[in-house]
Amino acid sequence: MRFLNAAVLTVIAIAPVFAQENVNAPAAATSPAGSGGLRRGPQVPKGPTPRLADGHPDFSGVWNGGGPVGDLTQGLAKGEKIPLLPEAEALMKSRDSKDDPEANCLPTGVPRIAPYPWRIVQTPTHVFFLFEGNIHSYRQIFMNGKHPEDPDPTWYGHSTAKWDGDTLVVDTVGFNDKFWFDFRGHPHTEKLHTIERYTRTDFGTLQNDVTIDDPGAYSKPFTLHFTARLRPGEELMEYICQENNQDVNHIKGKAGTP
Amino acid sequence: MKAKFAVVACAAALFTVSLPVLAHHSFAAEYDEKKPVTLKGTVTKVEWTNPHARFYVDVKDDSGKTINWNFELASPNVLIRNGWTRKSLKEGDQVTVQGSQAKDGAYLANARSVVLADGRKVFAGSSAEAEKEKQQ
Repeated sequence: MRFLNAAVLTVIAIAPVFAQENVNAPAAATSPAGSGGLRRGPQVPKGPTPRLADGHPDFSGVWNGGGPVGDLTQGLAKGEKIPLLPEAEALMKSRDSKDDPEANCLPTGVPRIAPYPWRIVQTPTHVFFLFEGNIHSYRQIFMNGKHPEDPDPTWYGHSTAKWDGDTLVVDTVGFNDKFWFDFRGHPHTEKLHTIERYTRTDFGTLQNDVTIDDPGAYSKPFTLHFTARLRPGEELMEYICQENNQDVNHIKGKAGTP
Repeated sequence: MKAKFAVVACAAALFTVSLPVLAHHSFAAEYDEKKPVTLKGTVTKVEWTNPHARFYVDVKDDSGKTINWNFELASPNVLIRNGWTRKSLKEGDQVTVQGSQAKDGAYLANARSVVLADGRKVFAGSSAEAEKEKQQ
């Protein structure tokens, strides 16, 4: 199911597939945010991973999913628990849903993803993630780059990447502590360091194994697994979230509900 | 809220899959699935805007008082990808809308299905798609 009805019963009845598509997660514990509102669309052609002239995998295309939307922990392997430190847990419990930056048209940060499609643009010097949702913003990743010694904290941090065989390893530091990891309000601090390992396992599938290392909020690093799906023939469209955002005035209660 | 508006309590209505619910916020934090509403009236305005398209409907309550309801849809992009256009619904249309009311009791609801006076579903493409998805 590619989009969701409001009804809980429907959610239970149809076992939806979500943006934060994760083979390990039970379908019932998911977010009503849906998977991008895309039609099932043309079948994703089967086939091998496409490659660039230099032999590296070609990640370019429009993708859907590949990160958490409603609940970060859906990316955990079966049986794993999130190693939240007590103070981070207290912060999470204190959060009101209306204060979710994404609900306020602010960026998702990393590794959270909006329930809308995004495009990878790959060049020899940079990789760009262009987001339709997520306030219509982008991430820039410097190939073989170096982090500044003392980066200013930002929403997407400072990202460098290098190849590890067929896997693109994106290393990011310099995050601010403002974004939330999901609707539930999983927090982080400016000590956050993410390592995303992207592997295009076949033509239509992009695996993202992302390690969250934040000694300010979690007792140990942990790794989440998400899968993005190719949307062949899809193009990004404009999405200016600030245009008519009436939601925050009506959002009630604590975060915690995906 | 008194019985001003027809409140649909039966589960069957919940299976009337029509409109995708997609948001940049938690659905459950804004809308109450236990407050399903079915409202009939005249469309007064359509906003083809982000993060959500919206339309407003004048609905008469039992005492004859007119209340302007605000209905939230998915984003225009999501609607377009499901076969709708900015002209699918327009000012003056007579509609029956099913949805979930806002938790705070405002005259605001997330629209789940929109049916025109002649019985046509405004966003039929989506409905068909949803049914197809449901069978898979």
